[in-house]
Amino acid sequence: MPISRRIFVKAGALALVSFGADPVFLDRAAWGMTRPSGRGGKGPILVCLFQRGAVDGLSMVVPHGEDAYYAERPRIAIPRNQVVDLDGHFGLHPALAALKPLWSNGSLAAIHAIGSPDSTRSHFDAQDYMESGTPGVKSTSDGWLNRYCQHQQEHTSTPFRSVAFGPELPRILSGSSPALAINDLQAFGIRGGGGARDRLTRAFEALYQDQATDLVASSAAEGFEAARMLRSVDPGHYQPANGANYPKGKFSKSMQQIAQLIRADVGVEIAFADVGGWDTHVNQGNGDGQLAGRLTEFGGALAAFATDLGDRMADVIVLTMSEFGRTVKENGSSGTDHGHATAMLVMGGPVHGGRMLGRWPGLAPEARFEGRDVAVTTDFRDLFSELLTRHLGATDLAGVFPGFVVSPSRFPGAVR
Amino acid sequence: MRLPLGLTAAFIFGSSSLAAQQPAPMTARDSALHVLNRLAYGPRPGEIDSVARIGVTRWIDAQVGAALPEPALDAAERQFDLLRISPSELAKRAVEMEKQRREAKKMATGTGDDDQRRKGARGPDDPRRLAEQFQELAATRAVLAENQLREVMIDFWTNHFNVVLTKGADRYLLPGYIETTIRPHAMGKFSDLLVAVAHSPAMLFYLDNVRSVAPGSEPPALTRARMRRFQNPRVDSMRAKLPTGINENYAREILELHTLGVDGGYTQQDVINTAQILTGWSMERPEKGVGFEFHDWAHDPGEKLVLGVRFPSGHGEDEGERLLRMLADNPATMHHVSAKLCARFVSDQPSDGCVDDAVRAWQQSKGDIRKILLAIFRSPDFWAPSGVGHKFKTPLEFVVSSARAVGAIPDTAPILAQTVARLGQPLFMQASPAGYPEAQGEWANSGALLDRMNVATALASGRLGSLMPRLDLLAPGVMLPADLVSAISARLFANGLSAHSVEVITREAGDPPPGTDARAYAIGLALGGPEFQRQ
Repeated sequence: MPISRRIFVKAGALALVSFGADPVFLDRAAWGMTRPSGRGGKGPILVCLFQRGAVDGLSMVVPHGEDAYYAERPRIAIPRNQVVDLDGHFGLHPALAALKPLWSNGSLAAIHAIGSPDSTRSHFDAQDYMESGTPGVKSTSDGWLNRYCQHQQEHTSTPFRSVAFGPELPRILSGSSPALAINDLQAFGIRGGGGARDRLTRAFEALYQDQATDLVASSAAEGFEAARMLRSVDPGHYQPANGANYPKGKFSKSMQQIAQLIRADVGVEIAFADVGGWDTHVNQGNGDGQLAGRLTEFGGALAAFATDLGDRMADVIVLTMSEFGRTVKENGSSGTDHGHATAMLVMGGPVHGGRMLGRWPGLAPEARFEGRDVAVTTDFRDLFSELLTRHLGATDLAGVFPGFVVSPSRFPGAVR
Repeated sequence: MRLPLGLTAAFIFGSSSLAAQQPAPMTARDSALHVLNRLAYGPRPGEIDSVARIGVTRWIDAQVGAALPEPALDAAERQFDLLRISPSELAKRAVEMEKQRREAKKMATGTGDDDQRRKGARGPDDPRRLAEQFQELAATRAVLAENQLREVMIDFWTNHFNVVLTKGADRYLLPGYIETTIRPHAMGKFSDLLVAVAHSPAMLFYLDNVRSVAPGSEPPALTRARMRRFQNPRVDSMRAKLPTGINENYAREILELHTLGVDGGYTQQDVINTAQILTGWSMERPEKGVGFEFHDWAHDPGEKLVLGVRFPSGHGEDEGERLLRMLADNPATMHHVSAKLCARFVSDQPSDGCVDDAVRAWQQSKGDIRKILLAIFRSPDFWAPSGVGHKFKTPLEFVVSSARAVGAIPDTAPILAQTVARLGQPLFMQASPAGYPEAQGEWANSGALLDRMNVATALASGRLGSLMPRLDLLAPGVMLPADLVSAISARLFANGLSAHSVEVITREAGDPPPGTDARAYAIGLALGGPEFQRQ
């Protein structure tokens, strides 16, 4: 088992020694609050959101200046008069209107024609490649965000360094560096009335203490440590700041809880959440309908998150990603099938926003990938590496994206 | 095929060189626990002894035979109204409910969808109530069935041929899918199962094959309407709602997930041609009965080529069946599905040896699932000491094995299914056609692990809904802490609790928290502890 995981397990065992009182925990909380200042004073944070199911980039960030978009999608194109224009050629889906102010103040950028060099149209494979960071190589056992954590180890003393919202740890954060999966902040930890919780926690901690090199034991140790920290954060009584209004929905709740953790200063560096419902093979809809419904929660939650964090957004970049895009042409069921390149959003204080990034290949048939899909002009690893180096300050990405030569000259320019 | 009885499993199954590597050969009780963990959802109180007494080999044969009487299960099934409603009746009720809901929504002004739904009373036909019952039924069967291996295989195939309960018509199609497609074929031939799945409205709807038609085709109803009145606006609106071409979704997943596997050597063109062959495979309208229906008008009659094999023009439904049987017999399919079976029964990363044994049995038996399973259970890898007790339980396996461990008798209250969902595996709700993952790394995360401990203590102390533990079956009466823990270790772990766990639980049981029963406390710790997370 690689070293970084052991470091954490040891830290967890250390916490056990000082059981009862929380001196180790208090130390860490204090450390979290006085972290050396980054851009906004508290160190950079990267929030990655995975739109699982392959979002239709063409109707999320609409090339309304292209006649081909309308010609190929008689039933599902977003009408020109409904598109929220960005730069005269591209515009947001009307359900994303809440994000327009962020574009206007320069903290939101969009990149089109981004994707994988691998041509697979399987959700499973394409998600796997985007999370492993090694397109075309299936044997990679860990995810690129986890490998980043393995290589930049100054944060290993807080269990909240990398947190995924959801019942399972996603592939992108799996690996030897500890990462936490949280389904619901409030329900996290051992439960039991009165003093029973502490007794039970202590007993279970002791039970799992024996097998220190084992994945199950180290996961448990991480869990106990995190539960201790959360108790002082009191997640049950969260008030979003600045009048932020999160829409209803599972994804929106994840965004709120990410904001909550960031504002609690528990040392989050990387947060991850999934958002599903993008596999619109049938009746995708145009300005209204299925895709619009998903984008409404998506855009509303992103906007609320930015409002909630307020000045803290100076430290934060939110990246949206999806395994591939969808066919330029609508299919026989008023939907779209699996395509190639898609669009991603980059949002936050450090973002060089208010502009489209990447190179747009156009929708002309000869410019398409295999004659049917948006061609990839930006390898997703170019954007991911830019965020890791220029935002998080990573110095060596050779191990994060093995077999890929990171070149700043190919960075899309997402970070100021 | 039957092996001699009365010998320990390690002796029968292990080669001599393998046996030489084993420091301590497995006892009959160790072997019994191993098969109960892997072929079943863990031991019930006393079951390690009874299986050891019958003999592991004989017990395996009986499980593979899958013909044991099911008195407890039959009685439990009678409690589920769901099983008394035919698929077509279920569909009719769902369609009617949907109509009422839409009308109620039209009538309501100013109230959001959510408010409407919350206000609506949850009658016996409420789709959410049916969904809960349906999920609970699956978990209940896993707890109670005597034919445990059959239930494990039903879960395996349900996951292999995943369909999601939340997608449109699948809300009411899924029960029929499980009862008539998956369950009867779970221990038969793989090719029959594959063909049955392709005839199931649930799958055809889930992966959009019901919307896949030959370009330019037109249903007879539209043709008639058009003949009657040229350019009727109703004709236009009918046409606008109709699919106009193929949809590749199901075809792709057949090749990638159900048969060949993602590296199975097919091309994008094979996907398209498979979709063409399956055009017209559809379902009856819900008001007519939701059975399979082949739409001749939607079928692409042209010649197709899949994996280099020619499907001549002029054929209909028959060429789909021919293609499916051809795929079922493809070596890539044998390898892909055998590797998944080995991952389920042996280890997350099964060795080539185990997979090869399964593939050989597949070839010899022409895809007889029972023969393939027997080959896996006889493979030396299945019995390798490095693997025994090392496979991490999925949330379903953890919850069901916990309920079995304390002898709980589930009623129809949806507590088992809700618990499984809370731990990260809501049944029939996995959106990805790949189904739920099997590997430990996917499930062993800290949050869910802590929650397993909560479930364990709640269950043991009788606080997990209506699920009542029968602790007397594990540890009768009042016992000294050391005796209590050794009884638990004997009956649930074949004495396999580690010395460390025995020490911790004994210490805790000697001084339980105020107001807590020592026995329930000790059993809760054992079920929530590290050994019980594995099988």
